[in-house]
Amino acid sequence: MNDNVRLRRITVVAALAVAIVVPLFISNFYQFEASEIAVLAILVLSLVVITGYVGQISFCQYSFAAIGAFTVGSLVGGHHWSFWLALVVAVAFSSVVGILVGIPALRLSGLFLAILTVAVALFFDRFLLAAGTWDSFSGGLNPWRVGRPSFFGIGLDGPYAYYAFTLGAFAVMAWLVWNLRIGKTGRVLRAIRGSEIAASMIGIDVTLWKLAAFGLSAGLAGLAGGLLAAGVGGVSPPSFDFLHSIQIAALATVMGVESIASAAAGALALVAVPEILTHTPISADYFPLFVGGVLIVQLVFAPQGAVPKMVEDIKHLLARGRHGEPDATTDEISAKVTV
Amino acid sequence: MSLLEIHGVSVRFGGVRALSDVSFRVNRGEIFGLVGPNGAGKTTLFNAVTGVVRPTTGRITFDEHEIGHLKPHKRARLGIGRTFQNLQLFGAMTVLENLMLPVDAFARRGLVSDAFRLPMASFEERRANERARAMLHFLRLDGIDGLRANDLPVGIQRRVELARALCLRPKLLLLDEPASGLDARETAELAEALPMIRERFGTTMLLVDHDMALVMRVCDHITVLDFGEVISSGPPDVIRSDPRVIKAYLGEEVA
Amino acid sequence: MILASANFGLFPSYTVIGLVLGGTYALAAIGLVLIYRVSGVLHFGHGAVAMFATFIAYTVSVEHGLPSIIGLFAAIVTGAALGYIIERFTIRPLRDRPALTKVVITIGWLLVLQTLAGAIWKNTAYHRPVQLVSRSGFKLPVLNLIIGYDQLTTLLVAIGLAVGTAALLRYTTLGISMRAVADDPGAARLWGVNVNRVTAASWMVGSAMGAVAGVLVTPQISFTTFALTLIVIDAFTAALIGRLSSLPWTVVGAVALGLAQTYPRMVTNISGSGEAATFLLVIVTLFVLFRPGAQRVRLA
Repeated sequence: MNDNVRLRRITVVAALAVAIVVPLFISNFYQFEASEIAVLAILVLSLVVITGYVGQISFCQYSFAAIGAFTVGSLVGGHHWSFWLALVVAVAFSSVVGILVGIPALRLSGLFLAILTVAVALFFDRFLLAAGTWDSFSGGLNPWRVGRPSFFGIGLDGPYAYYAFTLGAFAVMAWLVWNLRIGKTGRVLRAIRGSEIAASMIGIDVTLWKLAAFGLSAGLAGLAGGLLAAGVGGVSPPSFDFLHSIQIAALATVMGVESIASAAAGALALVAVPEILTHTPISADYFPLFVGGVLIVQLVFAPQGAVPKMVEDIKHLLARGRHGEPDATTDEISAKVTV
Repeated sequence: MSLLEIHGVSVRFGGVRALSDVSFRVNRGEIFGLVGPNGAGKTTLFNAVTGVVRPTTGRITFDEHEIGHLKPHKRARLGIGRTFQNLQLFGAMTVLENLMLPVDAFARRGLVSDAFRLPMASFEERRANERARAMLHFLRLDGIDGLRANDLPVGIQRRVELARALCLRPKLLLLDEPASGLDARETAELAEALPMIRERFGTTMLLVDHDMALVMRVCDHITVLDFGEVISSGPPDVIRSDPRVIKAYLGEEVA
Repeated sequence: MILASANFGLFPSYTVIGLVLGGTYALAAIGLVLIYRVSGVLHFGHGAVAMFATFIAYTVSVEHGLPSIIGLFAAIVTGAALGYIIERFTIRPLRDRPALTKVVITIGWLLVLQTLAGAIWKNTAYHRPVQLVSRSGFKLPVLNLIIGYDQLTTLLVAIGLAVGTAALLRYTTLGISMRAVADDPGAARLWGVNVNRVTAASWMVGSAMGAVAGVLVTPQISFTTFALTLIVIDAFTAALIGRLSSLPWTVVGAVALGLAQTYPRMVTNISGSGEAATFLLVIVTLFVLFRPGAQRVRLA
């Protein structure tokens, strides 16, 4: 056990070091893309919470992100609020909407919940954010302009500065979610996933916990949306459409929706792969095709996700190297338990 | 002094009467047996007590509170614990995690203190851990704390589920076919464990099982159901020789 | 909100539009329900398949000028072929996996087909719809209403295929086998039903119906790759109203949805009003008809 913990710590520190140092040497444009990756990693993190931990499929994460983005957009761009205050409101607002969506979700099984989230995504995409419906929120035909804020006096206009900030934001969020996971929250959510009835028999208020999880997930997505607004400098509805929601759900599934590392990996893929494609003869428009194709192949051969599979394979390799012990058989287990 | 009182409880599912006007009372510190042929309504009664099923008529009183309107998790918090006939362990989780959950469920710290690893969270984490390990030791399950629940043999799984219910420190423990799938040796261990649990934790128990020998051995008082109705009630000796009971089980009168 | 002056005199016209729209939804929804009941998979890519087949019809009829009936035929063949490929190679091998996994695979197909179609036929270009029958119409005397021949044809085709599917399920061996598999695949296998073949057939028939729906609907909605892919949502809504099992109620739901999407346009010209109606209908349906523990109705 301790070896795993140590390995994990080393990996995290190494990854952080790479993430901090390497972008210092790339162009401004790539630094900007790096900040996009960090923010999208928070969005995928929201999926990890709702799908990985609670086991509910969601195709409307971008809708929650949109709430965050447009709240920031309309408050800062339209009413000249301070960015940070607007961000807090954005996260709160998206959390509340997440809980609202969670209420009907409580009585629906996985499949119908998926349909519900699709309906929500389309509702946002086609109605709520369409020009003419609620222009004071969506900005109508004129996208909101949001400037870069300053963080404790440090201006975040420079691409590396903003990247460092978003990286920090992701690191903090990842740490918080990780703490939840290894603590009581993670256990309770996994218990609910395992057997709702047994969970309620030991005193777990399943409804409350599920709604809290929805709120948390939506809040994370809203945060990502708000940060996207500051990163890009403006918000417009097409960036948050239904296709984006499907794509990110698909990517998260491919990467493995239960692990935080896959949040980073998924975001990396979401930005890096289309970027790589632009340098090849294949157009970046083909990206959804790759996602879909990989998803299909992936599900046929490695359903729990690429990242966890890699992690497991590495663990097996290391374990075998050290102990050479096979897994305990049933008889051995029975023998361990004294009469 | 009664802990659980069932007054005239009836449960209908569509056209089927699963329970008809069932009444009995379980006293504190008793090990109470509920028996009857298949389909007699025993699991339905458990479901009614734990709140999974709503009785069509009748009242259920626990610890002098009427609990008919309470949701299942509230009843658990009042002190009603349960094991399941078809084992509802959290299979993908380790034994230790399974046993920590009842304390987790009652912990007062919320998401925020969990996320920021506030001192209260660590304290309660330790508490859950300690109680779980103590329970493992009490039921002689040391050594398997790190194993996944799904990977265990049935006999051990039943013990783990029992341990998990006990971690709730319930006042009343409902045991639904705890001997199901156990061999003779394991059943004998169970028969020894139940009075030990009562002695150590003061837990009142309501036991349903098909193994009549087990029921006769451990229970202080037995109620017999058939077709959703109470047909007999009393200490094991009385039940053993009650012709109605024999008829219900064997379908014929013993001369 | 911008409220256009409500013109209730146009009510009969809007009704016809709504009915025709509902008819096409019904076709797509029946296909979806068929696939769901027989194979247990909620085919999110149903609309994408229909869309792809419709674009094949477009290529045949509009780009190459062949008679539109040939285009329709090409669409049907494409739909059936795609349905077969998806089922045979990506659903059947995953027989033992949870249903959710297979659903996610259909989402993968949605992305694949959507992107391919966009690449081949260009996402944003305006496409002339496949016109099966002329748009000119005739006048219904009593209601002072003009009905286009194409609208009439669509309605008739929709009704015909719906009835035909019901007949297929009730009177043909294949149909009875489908119902058997829908009820209990294990038992059906024991009775000698070739479950694999029946399942493949349900996917082929279902996708073909989706293709027909796609072709019929193009004159009425914007003919882009994305709009057609999203018809799956309308099909879902109708199927939900039919509790995902009762075909007659699915048709009712489809018609209701078609009307619900059309009528708001009488009083407002907010672009997404139809979608709002769909969304409301989905929520209400999910709440009312899918309370936990609700009984399942038999197929057909």
